[in-house]
Amino acid sequence: MPDMLPISFVLNGRQVHLTVAVNAVAADVLRDACRQTSVRVSCDQSVCGVCTVLADGFPIASCTTLAFDLDGKQITTLEGLSDREALHPIQEAFRERAAFQCGFCTAGMILSTKALLAARPAPSREEIREWLSANVCRCTGYNMIIEAVQLAAAKLSAARKD
Amino acid sequence: MDGSRPRVMALQRHDAVEKITGAARYTFDVELPGMAHGKILRSPHAHARIVRIDASRAESMPGVLAVVTGRDIAALPERTYGVFMRDQPVICTDKVRYIGDSVAAVAAVDEETAYAALAAIDVHYEVLQPVASIDAALAAGAPLLFEEPQPYVPLHVGAGSTATPEPRPNVMFEYTYTAGDIEQAFARCDHVFEDSFEVGRLHHFYLEPYVTVARVGGERIEVWTCNQDPFVIRNDIARIFGKPEHLISVHSSYIGGGFGGKSFCKTEPLNVLLAMKAGRPVRLCFSLDECLLTLTKHPARIRLKTGVMRDGKLVARQTRAEVNGGAYADAGCMVAVKIGYRINGPYRWDAVDSACAAVRTNVVPAGSFRGFGGTQASYASESQIDLIARRLRIDPIELRKRNLLEVGQPFLPGDSGIDSDLARGLDTVVHALGYYTRQREPGRGMGFAIGIKDGGGTGYHAQAVVKVTPTGRAIVMAGVTEIGQGASSVMPQIAARILDIPDDWAMLAPVTTDHTPLNAGTHVSVATTMLGKAVENAARNVREDILKFAAAELAADQRALELRDGAIWKGNESFPLEMLVRRHFGGAGYEFVARGYYRQPYDEGAPLRAKAPFWLPSWVGAEVAVDEETGAIAVLQLVVCADSGHTINLAGGRGQTEGGAMQALGMTLFEDLVYDGVMPVNARPMSYRTVLARDMPQHFEAIVEEHGLGPGPFGAKGIGEGGMLGIGAAIANAVHDATGARVTTLPLTPERVLAAIDVARKASASGGL
Repeated sequence: MPDMLPISFVLNGRQVHLTVAVNAVAADVLRDACRQTSVRVSCDQSVCGVCTVLADGFPIASCTTLAFDLDGKQITTLEGLSDREALHPIQEAFRERAAFQCGFCTAGMILSTKALLAARPAPSREEIREWLSANVCRCTGYNMIIEAVQLAAAKLSAARKD
Repeated sequence: MDGSRPRVMALQRHDAVEKITGAARYTFDVELPGMAHGKILRSPHAHARIVRIDASRAESMPGVLAVVTGRDIAALPERTYGVFMRDQPVICTDKVRYIGDSVAAVAAVDEETAYAALAAIDVHYEVLQPVASIDAALAAGAPLLFEEPQPYVPLHVGAGSTATPEPRPNVMFEYTYTAGDIEQAFARCDHVFEDSFEVGRLHHFYLEPYVTVARVGGERIEVWTCNQDPFVIRNDIARIFGKPEHLISVHSSYIGGGFGGKSFCKTEPLNVLLAMKAGRPVRLCFSLDECLLTLTKHPARIRLKTGVMRDGKLVARQTRAEVNGGAYADAGCMVAVKIGYRINGPYRWDAVDSACAAVRTNVVPAGSFRGFGGTQASYASESQIDLIARRLRIDPIELRKRNLLEVGQPFLPGDSGIDSDLARGLDTVVHALGYYTRQREPGRGMGFAIGIKDGGGTGYHAQAVVKVTPTGRAIVMAGVTEIGQGASSVMPQIAARILDIPDDWAMLAPVTTDHTPLNAGTHVSVATTMLGKAVENAARNVREDILKFAAAELAADQRALELRDGAIWKGNESFPLEMLVRRHFGGAGYEFVARGYYRQPYDEGAPLRAKAPFWLPSWVGAEVAVDEETGAIAVLQLVVCADSGHTINLAGGRGQTEGGAMQALGMTLFEDLVYDGVMPVNARPMSYRTVLARDMPQHFEAIVEEHGLGPGPFGAKGIGEGGMLGIGAAIANAVHDATGARVTTLPLTPERVLAAIDVARKASASGGL
């Protein structure tokens, strides 16, 4: 039996207290214990980006992050982006540009976009392509995703001006 | 009726909100009470006899619920699966045939325990000599993967075609096609050119791993699967376990990518067996590593002997092709058929003669993959067309135009006529690249290709049901799975247009074999056209039923009534359907339910035994820059054009074309599941290099045209595979244009480009071409 460890972190704005095994993986804890079903594991080797969540605003591969590394951090999953009333502007942009097909990469793609737009509010096409190279998409060919990110940047910029 | 409501050409999809909020449910998400976890022990040997399996330590481990080996399938009514050629066992019995083959399976309380149990299973192998390549497999005296003929369901073909199972040792299947007198045709040609082409091994790299859940209780078997073909799965489970279909339920969810890699039977029977033995539901989820060693696209070797006149008229083509089918057939027989047939391309011929053999080797099985032989065939055919043009010093665009099939002309004798304006699509990409107008720069080149395949299946038939609720909403029951292609939008959109309601008043019901009408599977770009017609017919029938009811209720002439936005209109007066329904039926109301059906009939005069419902061309223009010191290719511009006939969903049409193009871009430039003999070299996500956002060409555009000639609803036809077909040859042709060097093997790695440049330099030094 592995040793157990208490951890405490903020998940989508709410404090979470858990006891986890020392070798527990962040993706499993978020998905199972915290019921964040948008967190899914694909490659399990931190190369595909499907399992991306934000830790203090920065993208991490939750499949190769140990759960205890969540301790003390602000964690954001896709569930944390929209409230019951409205979609986040990035989600709106992805919807308007139909920037998805099968949807399996979408959670990671949207969260990576959120981090990108926080770091680069007006990214060039080149910057978007480089940043999102951390997220594999097998369906779209990326073009419509890049258009959605550009639209999201415009929406967020307009919101800031209001 | 249709036409009164303007078509919505925005990028809208019915699955949008679920997918962008994370609420979408995939088979990956299915969780049942008491669910256990399955894992598979895989063969470390490419070819070996299983002498003995000792699973006693594993079976007695705490938390292990069941261990399944070949012994457990011995008493089943049937033990194998595959498409026509059923040579793949539910789990290995006497032999293993490739590194990764399934030797034993465990169900345990969690994945960690299951993995530990695998390590506790002792297998004693007698290693056999493997065959790693097509040539090794075909060599005299080569070791055989199968000593006995395998179960085979006849694959019927039509006029000019032959289909032969296991014609020679280590050949699982061979297809031939002839039309006209090839020797006579060659004899009158001014030139006969012989060229060979090779295509590597592409993996689907869908992001949702292959995952199934099985539950067996009482009389019923239930399976949740990410498979694209729920009714095929039901059939296979019924056949293998000897159970009747009405007690087998197969449930589909959104699928996280398929591309053909989730077509046809895979792990479902094994999962059922685990659940039976464990006495609990079992989830069997692969790692992506395991997926890489489950199924790939067929590597191919295609030799073309093509006779032409000096003015560029194509006369005769003889094709000899082999595909590397790997250890088991899967859909290999059909792929061999499609390569042997599609290799002739969108051109008029006086005579053709092709043969394609699917060869057995001790590597990962190959099967269905978007394009389905059409990708490999288009690469070879469109590369050679370009070579021929250059040798005859005719512009490659001109040469194509002189030979292109026209609308209505049969692809080959007895088949349906072409239903796209092939010259028009070519002009689109030529114009988009500025081929005739832009200045040429050194180190840069342009290339074009017209890939083509038949679409809509062979003798396909489709069934659908549409039901309309009291308030006029439509629920479409049609067995297409949503793999990302947008079928869950297109099917309801078709019904919405016929019923004259807003798009979002209609939805596609979850697909489950108990409720959904039978469907042959989500492939060959079939859904929009064939299933779409069935949905259209069902919607027309239910509309008729509603108007008949309304006419009786309103004591009016049915011909004077219209149905629009869930209301009956009689001139300027409108009566909400809900009001009429509640008045007549009371209680919980009433739903109008009607069926629709559509089929493409069999036709012995057609080469594939049914005319193709439609044709799927893929026009591609590529501009590249080649670094002649490193061999690196930069794709500067890529324009892909497809013909939707009539676009029902713009997001789907554009998205599918762009997505297919990028998959093919990877296949063309670098993506390859490499083998060193029988040992896979890069069968891990970390080392299988797939296409990333930074790999996109600087300028990349998909143009979806509407030539209006499709047989589907409103003139539509399928488009899902079009993006892929022409990419490889267009880029290879562009590289040739830039450097004078011809690379005949995909992927066009820098090493291959440099070697070809070397050959070209030596040839031009000695005056040849």
